[in-house]
Amino acid sequence: MSVSSVGKSAMHGDVSPSRSGLQSIFYPRTVAVVGANATPGTVPYDIFHNLLISGYRGTLYPVAPGKASICAVKAYRYVLDIPDKIDLAVIVFPAEVVDRAMEQCAKQGVKAAIVISAGFREAGPEGQQREQRIKAICAEHGIALIGPNCLGVINTDPAVRLNASFARKMPDAGRIGFLSQSGALCTAVLDYARDKGIGFSKFVSFGNKAGVSEIDLIEYLHDDPATDVILLYLEEITDGRRLVETARRVTRGPKAKPILAIKAGRTAEGAGAAASHTGSLAGEDAVCDDVFRDAGIVRVASIEELFNTAIMYAYQPMPPGDRLAIVTNAGGPGVMATDAAVRCGLSIARFEPQTTQKLKAALPATANIKNPVDVIGDARADRYAAALDAVLADPNVDQVLVILTPQSMTDIDAIARCVCDVSRRASKAIACSFMGAADVASGVHILQAAHIPHYILPEWACRAMADVQRIRRWREYQLHEPHRPQVDRQAAEALVAACPNGYMREDQALALLKTYGLPVPEYRLCTDAEQAVDFAAQIGYPVVLRAAGRNIVHKSEIGGVALNLRDAHQVREAFADMTRRLAAAPAAALEGVLVRAMIPAGTELILGARHDPSFGPVVMFGLGGIYVELFRDVAFALAPLDAHTAAALVRRVRAVRLLEGARGLPPADIPAVEDSLVRLSWLAADFPRISELDVNPLIAGPAKTGNAVADVRIRLGR
Amino acid sequence: MDRAEVEARVKKVVSRVLGVDEDMITPDSHFVFDLGAESAQSVQLVAAFEGEFNIEMDNDAALKVKTVGAAVDFISRYL
Repeated sequence: MSVSSVGKSAMHGDVSPSRSGLQSIFYPRTVAVVGANATPGTVPYDIFHNLLISGYRGTLYPVAPGKASICAVKAYRYVLDIPDKIDLAVIVFPAEVVDRAMEQCAKQGVKAAIVISAGFREAGPEGQQREQRIKAICAEHGIALIGPNCLGVINTDPAVRLNASFARKMPDAGRIGFLSQSGALCTAVLDYARDKGIGFSKFVSFGNKAGVSEIDLIEYLHDDPATDVILLYLEEITDGRRLVETARRVTRGPKAKPILAIKAGRTAEGAGAAASHTGSLAGEDAVCDDVFRDAGIVRVASIEELFNTAIMYAYQPMPPGDRLAIVTNAGGPGVMATDAAVRCGLSIARFEPQTTQKLKAALPATANIKNPVDVIGDARADRYAAALDAVLADPNVDQVLVILTPQSMTDIDAIARCVCDVSRRASKAIACSFMGAADVASGVHILQAAHIPHYILPEWACRAMADVQRIRRWREYQLHEPHRPQVDRQAAEALVAACPNGYMREDQALALLKTYGLPVPEYRLCTDAEQAVDFAAQIGYPVVLRAAGRNIVHKSEIGGVALNLRDAHQVREAFADMTRRLAAAPAAALEGVLVRAMIPAGTELILGARHDPSFGPVVMFGLGGIYVELFRDVAFALAPLDAHTAAALVRRVRAVRLLEGARGLPPADIPAVEDSLVRLSWLAADFPRISELDVNPLIAGPAKTGNAVADVRIRLGR
Repeated sequence: MDRAEVEARVKKVVSRVLGVDEDMITPDSHFVFDLGAESAQSVQLVAAFEGEFNIEMDNDAALKVKTVGAAVDFISRYL
């Protein structure tokens, strides 16, 4: 084996230590398989064998104590015995001795290591200690570490041809980089991709990510000239903020590459399974959905969708718009595709008169010359070619979907070849759906070989095209830096410092909101009825009384709220009733009664903030009051917010139509709501001690009248 | 049976089961890391020690023994 040619294509320039470590993982000149054995069908043997048969371009050393050779290659007892510098050690020893192997690797000067073995963090406290030990050795000696508990790494670049994994087969070379936290999923993905003729540039199972994380790998693939699109399967987000920052950088700008991701654990049950799989804390899935969107990560629901979108992006030019033309030999699928396209957010192109003229001239009288173009069931390749040429030349068409159903006279292969020919000439994106399975199989292979994205169902094609449009729109979207509004941070710090962990008393919580400029109506904490009557007279009737105390959270359930009190007599009575009722509920220690004016009716909204375990402070917006739990019509974004993201957040919930004035309702003061969101987001970002903050409801009044905080709950401490 | 004799017989068994030269084996040798024992061979080793010394060992405890010296100590408890 020659070492001289390895990695020349990628070894260039000034590289940071971590990047040079990653280079040693993907482009090693020498590889030691540490813990190899001679028993086919075991991981230690298969890894060595895979490296050997994949045509690796560097030098390979098995470390196999007690063995003279593995697969006829001289074996070494210890990695220290190898008379060569080792770039990459692939450690396949059982977990209990990986630390010893890693210590020797460090002494040997190994630059990078892949620990395949399981039995670490995922296996309980003892495993966690093992992981900490190898992590510490790698950190001390600057070894880039992939794993432990992973399938390994594949680099199809002909300069290296590295299959340091126990996948059954080396995949074909392609433009897709695949990163997965699950090793077993990788083998299924490789098999799936092989069947569909999909190739990869780099393929990484990163397991427990004790050293190199998915974020490091995304950054590496961003710079990798062989990769056009990055696919990610993730169970656990450990550094959500860095993931977002990295994704924003990678998915935009002159070297933009899309990131398509499956984040498993969508349901509470799935999140629980992922948490026990990885030992992580799961945040709310809806947060992940919205934060990914704001980071430019296209979150998909399945492996199918992941590759459907990836090949659409990687194989075809990026359409400049969302206008779709459909050419079909069957009316029904054309209608279904039209429905799917519109549902996904694509628009159906309106043809120029010249296009309909061309179609009219080329197609039989019974054909539909409007979009979707129906070339009729007896269409052969020439009719498809004429229709495709006509619609592709139309300036109102951005992309084309070709649908075929296998009828007795349909020459499927000829039509597939015709689509390939047209695609070679065209500068617009083309996708196909040859519907069926057995009859269309050879035609589908022709399309796949020519990198024409093919989908069994037209709906999947539409979804993939719509995802590509999301990628395009994200690149065009202007990002804005958040700017802190005028707030009294010093006063807020004093208030927070004065409160112990737990729920803040309502008057303290309101005072805190006030320091950040939220619309808090005038209030006073009163300790006797006469104080309450005096204050009510000052602010004017009607007024509200609210029981206040640190552990009084659900006031209305314990009779701690009295609304619409119209005079002094009603205030005195309500005050007496409330103190009597709360005296009977010893768990709720009454510290006073909060008096404030009645807020006029308006749209009830919720503005919230949470400390998400993955992403840190996030804000939430939605329809408030009882509707929060009923409809879950809420949206999330990272705190702090800029004004543009606040505006987008408000428009992400369906209830925005209520605010805009649906069905004769007066439009609400939306700019005031957006301003409150920005202020609340800064409060959450500035005070990490706030673990939970809900303004529910914020009552949005009619346009230009502002809004008002009707209730608030703030919890300090984790 | 003195310790030296147990050790010598343990080494012979280890050499035979794992297919390693006896001179590679020391009391500090780790079955996996230094002698390349695979998981199936650990079970074979326990069975071979039982046969060699005509004893019956607690299998779970025996499989936790990691070095040749520890195996000598462990077996000696049954003699």
